Amino acid sequence: MKTHFLNRRQRDGLFGFVLDIPALALTVAFIIVPIFDSVIKSFQEYGVRNIISGKPGVWNNWANYLYLSKTDLFLKATIHTFSFVTAVVVVQFLLSLALALILNTDIKGARFLRSIMMTPWVVPTVISALIWMWLFQPQYGLVRYLISIASFGAVTDFAILNNPKTALMGVGIAALWKQIPLMSLLLLAGLQNVPHDIEEAAMIDGAGKVRRFYSVVLPYLSPVIKVTISMSIIENFKQFPLFWTMTGGGPNNATTTLAVLSYREAFVSMNLGAGSAVTTLWMVMMIAVVFFYNQIFRIQDMG
Amino acid sequence: MAIKTLNRDPLAFVLVKYFLLVIILLFLLFPLYWVLITSFKTNMEAYRYPPTFFPHEPAATSFIKLFSEHNQFFVYYRNNLIVSTSVAVLCCVFATFSGYSMARFKNRWGRMFFAILLVSQMFPVISRMISLYVILGRIGIINTLGGLIFALLAAQVPFCIILMASFFANIPTEIEEAAFVDGAGRWMILFRIVTPLVKSGLLAVGIYAFLMTWDDYLHAATLIQADNLRTLSVGIALRYLGELSYDWSLVNAISIIGTIPVVLIFFFFQKYMIKGLVAGAVKG
Repeated sequence: MKTHFLNRRQRDGLFGFVLDIPALALTVAFIIVPIFDSVIKSFQEYGVRNIISGKPGVWNNWANYLYLSKTDLFLKATIHTFSFVTAVVVVQFLLSLALALILNTDIKGARFLRSIMMTPWVVPTVISALIWMWLFQPQYGLVRYLISIASFGAVTDFAILNNPKTALMGVGIAALWKQIPLMSLLLLAGLQNVPHDIEEAAMIDGAGKVRRFYSVVLPYLSPVIKVTISMSIIENFKQFPLFWTMTGGGPNNATTTLAVLSYREAFVSMNLGAGSAVTTLWMVMMIAVVFFYNQIFRIQDMG
Repeated sequence: MAIKTLNRDPLAFVLVKYFLLVIILLFLLFPLYWVLITSFKTNMEAYRYPPTFFPHEPAATSFIKLFSEHNQFFVYYRNNLIVSTSVAVLCCVFATFSGYSMARFKNRWGRMFFAILLVSQMFPVISRMISLYVILGRIGIINTLGGLIFALLAAQVPFCIILMASFFANIPTEIEEAAFVDGAGRWMILFRIVTPLVKSGLLAVGIYAFLMTWDDYLHAATLIQADNLRTLSVGIALRYLGELSYDWSLVNAISIIGTIPVVLIFFFFQKYMIKGLVAGAVKG
């Protein structure tokens, strides 16, 4: 038998660390280092020339950030991103919760419905963009037709993606379509964990449906709500393919979000420095949002 | 309040419930029906206004056209299969290692590792693509499927580890203790004794990684430039949406063919997938 220099716990810890090495190496090489590198690039002049010649970027005295502050595009992109995230997350939560609550009652075929409702979630994002572009198609689209019937022929040229005022909403509908299934599924799983006996006890005590929901169901559901909403915030904050495929940021920059702006600066104009400046500010905002989000939930947990 | 009156009036409550259910399900499922029937319409019929709700002359012309004329689509398709399968398999290996470690050895290092994983997932993909584009170019693996696979793997591994850990946590430690006393080494315990018990977890992880990778757009859009190495999402977006007038029947046929594998995989392995998603997100 071998003699051990470390005690059992230390050996456990060492083994655990060894097991983590592959994933850690991968995460550091492909995520952590690139993120820090992009923050550094945001302070540099970095364009096609640097890529071809392999020359490192040069410090350019905040020029990328000054450039962003000169155009109003960055401010607009920030506003678009925040309105998109807020609207999609709120509507998504309400509809998903409604669907989960309904599927949690004793309706016939709930299991079957739960499984087919997941289909939009597995449809690839670019394909869901295509699906909604076809539904919203300005000449032959189904939505144009339905709107003209619903408005009794008053609105016959409904083209949601071509109008700067509604384009963001159009992309939001596609996002909702793809994301509602997963959120419903997770909320439903959370609802099924609510102990029946407590709900029954509340019912016997005369608590109505609404009262039971607020006092029994919601407290049990709150950890699931917290996770699903934060997943949704992060996902929609990062949303890129839907915008890029459906509108490309247009019309007239009405759907230019931070994702679209940074991609355009970095990979269309090939100004990697300016693109990094957008993503750096964007990351700072995300940290702030997640921080405040956690604060709100902490206060609620205590209250 | 509306719901309170419903409580006294079960019929109205039931009606509202079913009305909401039908509306939400129509919103989720009708677009799929619409894609399916459009793909079986001829372009003549697809461009008819008002639209027809059932194809008058069902035709497989768009599918025939796709299979006979658009060979490049199947190059994208093949690349997507290669990339997604590789990521799924590799993800299982990484998730087994770290998932086991996360479930069993809960020390300060483990918590720090968990935090690194979570935080790394929060940041926008574009910020790291800007940098990876340059770094991978310098070490010569940009524009290769290998480079793309590792970049995508890094994106999927964190959630897969958390998912896998929740499966490992359900295996009682007594089994391992018994094997340990019998003189089995740690690696042997992990691979011969514990891992076979979490097959359903491996399935959930593999399928999740496959679905997520099949969906990728940004990684491939930035790391791949050669048309022959493009994956599905980028290939579709560049080739079939580049022109001014779209061939909508064809685009809908592409949507169907591009979605079929993931839908089949999801429904075939639904039991594991749903269990896995719930375990990873709700308990993790």
